[in-house]
Amino acid sequence: MENRQAIKAENLVKTFGKGDSMVEVINGASFQVNKGELVALIAPSGAGKTTLLMMIGCVLEPTSGSIWLGDEKVYENRWLTKETRKIRREKIGFIFQAHYLIPFLTILDNITLVPQTNGISKEESEKNAIALLRYFDIEDKAKSMPSSLSGGQNQRAAIARALANRPQIILADEPTAALDIKRSVDVVKMLKKIAVDQDVAVIMVTHDEAMLPLCDRILKIEDKKVVSHSVSENKETGIL
Amino acid sequence: MINLAQKDIQHTLGKFIVTAMGVGMLLGIVLIMIGVYRGMIIDAQVLLDDLKVDLWVVQKDTLGPFAEASRVHEDLKNSIGIIEGVKKAEGITFQNLQLPSKAGPVRVFAVGFDPYGAIDPINPKKIIAGRGLERDHYEMVVTDKTGFHVGDTLHLGRDDYKVVGVTHGTVSSGGDPLVYVSLKDAQELQFLYANTRIRADRARGIKTLNSHMVNAVVATVRSGYSVNEVAEKIRRFKYKSVYTAEEEKTILTKNLIKMASKQIGMFTVILVIVSTIIIALIIYTMTLEKIKEIAIMKLIGIPNGMIIKMIMQETLLMGFLAFISANIFAHLIYAKFPKRVVLEIPDAWILFFVVIIASLLASLVGVKKVISADPSEAIGG
Repeated sequence: MENRQAIKAENLVKTFGKGDSMVEVINGASFQVNKGELVALIAPSGAGKTTLLMMIGCVLEPTSGSIWLGDEKVYENRWLTKETRKIRREKIGFIFQAHYLIPFLTILDNITLVPQTNGISKEESEKNAIALLRYFDIEDKAKSMPSSLSGGQNQRAAIARALANRPQIILADEPTAALDIKRSVDVVKMLKKIAVDQDVAVIMVTHDEAMLPLCDRILKIEDKKVVSHSVSENKETGIL
Repeated sequence: MINLAQKDIQHTLGKFIVTAMGVGMLLGIVLIMIGVYRGMIIDAQVLLDDLKVDLWVVQKDTLGPFAEASRVHEDLKNSIGIIEGVKKAEGITFQNLQLPSKAGPVRVFAVGFDPYGAIDPINPKKIIAGRGLERDHYEMVVTDKTGFHVGDTLHLGRDDYKVVGVTHGTVSSGGDPLVYVSLKDAQELQFLYANTRIRADRARGIKTLNSHMVNAVVATVRSGYSVNEVAEKIRRFKYKSVYTAEEEKTILTKNLIKMASKQIGMFTVILVIVSTIIIALIIYTMTLEKIKEIAIMKLIGIPNGMIIKMIMQETLLMGFLAFISANIFAHLIYAKFPKRVVLEIPDAWILFFVVIIASLLASLVGVKKVISADPSEAIGG
């Protein structure tokens, strides 16, 4: 049977500082996210959502624990590879609260930057990028600069960028925070569609409870640990 | 592969070019400073080259006549002239004068020589109007930079002098325009006291001083004779200091302008350091402006090498554009300087390499910032 595991974390711990000033943000977080799943990560402000996201994204080194990305174990009390940046470039797509497109690159260049860095030819990268832009209905903006696009168009371009390296995982840090409810719903539906169409795992940090019913599952940070809830279960317990 | 530097520069092309031009103007001043130094060296040699003499005989134990005061009797030329190996010998004087002009006094360096003698310091190729000196009184040849023309009359000392010729490109080692007068006139101007002083000296019983002095006797050497050997003969028998043309050139180019060249050298070094710091600050600011984008690029997995390449390419291009601007700027303004400024290609090449090294050093501040940029800064707004 095919292994559907995209992300697995076991006993993740993250502390900041030392001695008396040490702060424990995550303590013993264990969870799994499968391919094709859209998972919301929720918690009160300062509870460690972004910290957890950065650890999974190989940006921030955990204090201890284990992380698998797909079948590859990338962390066990230390990074198991020196090239965490290569892992990010090849396996992970990032979406941020703002679009954070590189302002001096065209939309097409923004999308082809990572694939070209991964060694994919310019022609093939551009062909794939155009297909993505068509998927997001902004094909005509390929040669435009980010400054000439609307907020919604830029956010779609940013999502296209996150998909350009055909990642196994998409980490979205509050992608709907700056959007109105209609656009927020559009973006989350889009992420759900991507998760299914591209067979990728999507973890979306959000504060917006209205988005939770659109997700497959909810990961909630409680007492520095990660607890998984189904959407229906949360409806019953009053989370939604 | 996408060239990030090219894309970034295209995005802010106007700002980038204006910044490079600003740095270029600073570097242009460096080129001008070097040009001033080169000009001083050339100016120092003008008179020597026009005179075309082999030996300079001056007062014992002096470096005269340009570096130290020197006085020898005019008739020394006769005893020098009969020494074996000497072809021609003539007395010559040098002095600073202020020529009266409507626009204010014009400072010049006057060369006195015998117009009927065997050595003429006026290079005929440099006469652009009129003629050289033909009489031994009251004639003057001036450089065009003095502003005087053929036919002008100037009152100097006790007499009026008529401008009979104008030369071009003749200056002293100090950069002052040269004027030429007869030896007799020059001796009067330099050595003859005012009548009242002469009368007063007579009343005191002081004998009237001899004005038949010169600052140096210059000589040429016959072919087949060694200049150094002839110089040694004069040193041995005439108790004078003797310098060959090469030694005199060294005195003028090395000793006399040594301090000035050090001064210019200091300015040049300071300007290069200031330019390096300015380029470094510009690159640092440009990197800071992009720090969010750099953090995002690091977060999405772009290698440091690619980002550092962008910073270094931008710095090198800025240095290169600044160098081009420096040359254009220097060539546009150098002729407007009152003293000679000589822009030489080898100096431009040296500056080019200095700018490239300075740019590489300056890029290090940007590179350091790139390396230390935290990719997690991109997350969390």
